[in-house]
Amino acid sequence: MPSLLEVQRAFGAALLGGGGPPRMAVYRGNACGNWSAALAGAYPVTRMIVGAELFDALARDYARAFPSTSGDLHEYGARLAAFLEGYPPATDLPYLPDTARMEWLSHVAHYAADAAPFDFSRPTEVRLAPSAALLKSGWPLAGIWAAHQEGGDPSTVDLDAGPDRVLVHRSGWRVEACSLRPGDFRFLAALQERRALGPALEAAAAEDPAFNARVALAAWVQAGVITQ
Amino acid sequence: MERLGAGIGLRARHYPDFSGARPAAGWLEVHSENYFAAGGRERAVLEALRRDYPLSLHGVGLGLGSAEGYSVEHENKLCALAERVEPVFVSEHLCWAAAAGRHFNDLLPLPFTEEALLLVASRVARLQDLLRRRVLVENISAYVEAGPGEMSEGEFLAALVRRSGCGLLLDVNNLYVNQVNLGRDARAQMLALDPESVEEIHLAGFSAGEHCLIDTHGARVADPVWRLYESALERFGPVPTLIEWDTDVPPLDVLLDEAAKARSRLERLDALVA
Repeated sequence: MPSLLEVQRAFGAALLGGGGPPRMAVYRGNACGNWSAALAGAYPVTRMIVGAELFDALARDYARAFPSTSGDLHEYGARLAAFLEGYPPATDLPYLPDTARMEWLSHVAHYAADAAPFDFSRPTEVRLAPSAALLKSGWPLAGIWAAHQEGGDPSTVDLDAGPDRVLVHRSGWRVEACSLRPGDFRFLAALQERRALGPALEAAAAEDPAFNARVALAAWVQAGVITQ
Repeated sequence: MERLGAGIGLRARHYPDFSGARPAAGWLEVHSENYFAAGGRERAVLEALRRDYPLSLHGVGLGLGSAEGYSVEHENKLCALAERVEPVFVSEHLCWAAAAGRHFNDLLPLPFTEEALLLVASRVARLQDLLRRRVLVENISAYVEAGPGEMSEGEFLAALVRRSGCGLLLDVNNLYVNQVNLGRDARAQMLALDPESVEEIHLAGFSAGEHCLIDTHGARVADPVWRLYESALERFGPVPTLIEWDTDVPPLDVLLDEAAKARSRLERLDALVA
């Protein structure tokens, strides 16, 4: 009698490789369907951009290139941006990898720990909220994001709008992606690097003469993007 | 525990129905993995609902019978979640899910061998130690035989209970699907089980595929499954029963209607016993 390990490896190979009895197709359909659905759930904008048909093909190719390794499907799809960098069918969409990068940050933000309410008794011990993440790109990511949200219009995206500095964070239960001015980006990036408040503000001011520390602090505390 | 009556599987589509209202379900069950996150909406919804409903955690990704690729990290996340929500039940499937460095994210069938039994019993015992509570193990639907076996599905489940001290989550729909697909006599499997060991029952709908029945959880409970459920209640008593629906999830009323059908059968049995 074959060992359990042998049985499972043979079953897995048949499931992936197209062998086994006709009913093995049910398992193949389940697994591929679960992977595709998880990828579509994490990357709705990418899916809108490439269309359902190409996305389905892409999901199948991704599953082969980067197998699922977790029983929690929320962890599936983390490497889609890297996969897209070298994916021939998407070469005419050079902004797709960065769009996918932004969407993974959004997916992670959705499940990130809640930020504690700001404690004004220790206002200098600040850090970035758990859901907040920063991304620099040569493409206008926030515009791409907004155009593919409910009520948006994908035809309005101006791909020549130039580079972008984006903040992705969860506000309430909604995840948002917005463009930052250079000073704000530098300030939040410094906090992300765990620099203290004073040096973070100084770095921002040095980068961007228009940066106003008081306005920035009030705004980011109000938005829940900085916390303790 | 039988006072839980009939419950429903909570799915994201129905969150709005529970926002500000408390639909009449005896209890709720969720897929554990959907609530592993450190924060966010899912966690907040669960926190709110656990105050008003008995809550059960049903795992779909652990793969108790995987000979390789079993994740201790996954176990730890489950334990942390269970500690937080204090569920009425914690259940897992009798299946495997990972091999050769890959997770299949599906419930794959085990061969009913002594080797598989040893492995699953040790995993269940360990999980029960970690959780400091009894775990329920559920029989799955299968489309092919995993390999040569040394016992029947019912005998395997009964032996697992004896060796690990776990309870059973008997999925009556899965018994029916396996009877049609693999010729396993559903009533014979039930007769192999210790009547005391079944602590929860699942009911769901299947779809007819090209070569077999497929356990899609995407339809109402089929008539032969209701009849099998009545036989199950005769043998196991008025066991808490859950309606599951995962594909093409309909409005909540449809689930509550199915739960009401289960409840009327549970109450009929209660009346007989009383």
